[in-house]
Amino acid sequence: METLLAVLADVQFWRLVLVMAAPLMLAALGELLMERSGILNVAIEGMMAVGAVLAFVVTFRSQSFLAGIGAAMLGAAVMAALLAWYAVTQRASQLTAGLALFILGLGLASLIYRVSIGIRLTPPRVPTLPPVAIPGLGELPLLGELLFRHTALVYAAVGLTLLASLGLFRTPLGLRVRATGENPRAVDVLGVSVAGIRYGAAVVGGLCIGAAGAYLPLAITGTFSEGMVGGRGWIALMLVIFGRWTPGPACLGGLLFATVEALEIRIGILTKVIPPQFLSMLPYLFAIVVLVRITQGAQAPRALGVPYHRESRT
Amino acid sequence: MRTARTCRRELLVAVLVACLGALAGGLAAPPAVTAGAAPGKMGMIMPGTIQDSDFNTLGYLALQQIQKQHGLAVSHSEQVAVADAERVAREYLGSGYSIIAFHGAQYLTMVQKLAPQFPSASFIIVSQGRGLPANVWNITRKFHEGFYPLGVLAARATKSDKIGYISGIRLPDFIASLNAAYEAVKQTNPKAQFVYAFTGDQNEPVKARQTAEAQIATGVDVIISSLNLGILGVVEAARGARTPVYVTSFYTDKSAMAPKVYLTSLVLDFGTPYAAIVDHILKGQRGGNYDMRPGSGMELATILNTSPEVVKQVQAVFQEVVRGKAVPEILDRIVVP
Repeated sequence: METLLAVLADVQFWRLVLVMAAPLMLAALGELLMERSGILNVAIEGMMAVGAVLAFVVTFRSQSFLAGIGAAMLGAAVMAALLAWYAVTQRASQLTAGLALFILGLGLASLIYRVSIGIRLTPPRVPTLPPVAIPGLGELPLLGELLFRHTALVYAAVGLTLLASLGLFRTPLGLRVRATGENPRAVDVLGVSVAGIRYGAAVVGGLCIGAAGAYLPLAITGTFSEGMVGGRGWIALMLVIFGRWTPGPACLGGLLFATVEALEIRIGILTKVIPPQFLSMLPYLFAIVVLVRITQGAQAPRALGVPYHRESRT
Repeated sequence: MRTARTCRRELLVAVLVACLGALAGGLAAPPAVTAGAAPGKMGMIMPGTIQDSDFNTLGYLALQQIQKQHGLAVSHSEQVAVADAERVAREYLGSGYSIIAFHGAQYLTMVQKLAPQFPSASFIIVSQGRGLPANVWNITRKFHEGFYPLGVLAARATKSDKIGYISGIRLPDFIASLNAAYEAVKQTNPKAQFVYAFTGDQNEPVKARQTAEAQIATGVDVIISSLNLGILGVVEAARGARTPVYVTSFYTDKSAMAPKVYLTSLVLDFGTPYAAIVDHILKGQRGGNYDMRPGSGMELATILNTSPEVVKQVQAVFQEVVRGKAVPEILDRIVVP
């Protein structure tokens, strides 16, 4: 009988961890960008659902992955821009607007699928994204299979993490984004448009979240099902806090969560002593425990969720 | 002099009174199903989406068939959580629906609660329920009989001697099917190992794929699945496996999706039992049991990707079950070690 150590030593196990962590990483990156600029987005789940359905339907109709992923990113970006309009222009409660968009997103995803696909006895499916081996590196023993033979979206998740880290902390634009989230008045005084930064961050964040949504049908299942996002949007929200609003740690958190999730399934196969209901709870229990521990001392962007008004005296 | 504020206040009071009056009127005289009323409306409550191309789609199609055949007005509610089922059913009953179908065994307790409260309505449930009220028709799916031949197929088709079973929720039906498949494997290929998992959701392909991949990583090369939409995740896992992995499914034949990884499907037809039951209800027989079993609403789809001898053996076993071969039905515990 396979032991837990054998599971942890299995390259396939870690490879699957990376596969399942990728959508979490992409969604967390998108949310992080928005929150760094000061916009709190609790509609990630709804945006991912819209991204997932658009990715599937457009790919199904056009037979083009690019079109599907593009549609998903655009759909989520439109929702993010709508949230930004509520947050920045209307100065409404971002929590309320986000929750409304979350519910809207879930319903819209179901509606789009119902109208586009209808009722069939054979479920429609699309081929999933093929793995792309990086020339040279893909042939390396162990590491090749673990890191260098994945789908384009996995590489995008890793690449965007590096890009976001560099962009936020090494470029003037990144500094402006962070400053907008900490002290928008200071940014305004310098003549930089706070609204422009927040809208821009929202749209870019939405693009990432849309890609995360597209990942689910195009890389994992080949189909769309209502509820397929399965709470990953909320996990992404947690990962931003876990990572203390920094791309690298947020994505590491995604890997950690995916590891616990994968272990839950493997332990369920190895032994029946532990009730499966407890195992299902494990990743979320882990998330709560780690979050409580990690967030001690963590500081959110000071202006997160706070509408900026130039004429305000405070 | 009446001010605008006074007028607004009076208008608000008037609206409130009107609302209260409507509410009181609604509560005072809820429309009820009267004894002997012509059963003109049928409602169906389903746990999943009718686009699952599976269990719920079959229920929906059966409902449409009843509308055409019997001229009943029909309506359905999808994705009804168990906690909401009673409320939804009461809304149907309050709107004059006299036949309520609960298309899912998870609603059994709702039927047991509501049927005595609405003696003039008729209820239909797909479950393993026993001793149900007199105004309830039960459609019993003898899954254990259908999954036994699938176990034989898996036992003969496996090259690694490791077989997996994946289901969603732990309903008695699926526990019985798991136990029957295991018995078949034990009898046909005693050296084969058997692992199982319940993902917690019949319709979650992502979780199903993770579970299937975990089983495949342990050497499983045949997966017997009793998932609804979740089967799509299992198929993707099988397609992505480095060595050949085959799957079985049920309810509908999904082999067209991925013919290279499919063994077969246990195909169910809900149209016949629902139509027969509604016929009985309209003729006055408002309670009873209808068995769906091999040969009666349960058939084996074409068997693929295995040798002709295996196909012949499995079909022979299926016919034995059709003719009455006893297959143990264990609903309350999992016998797989």
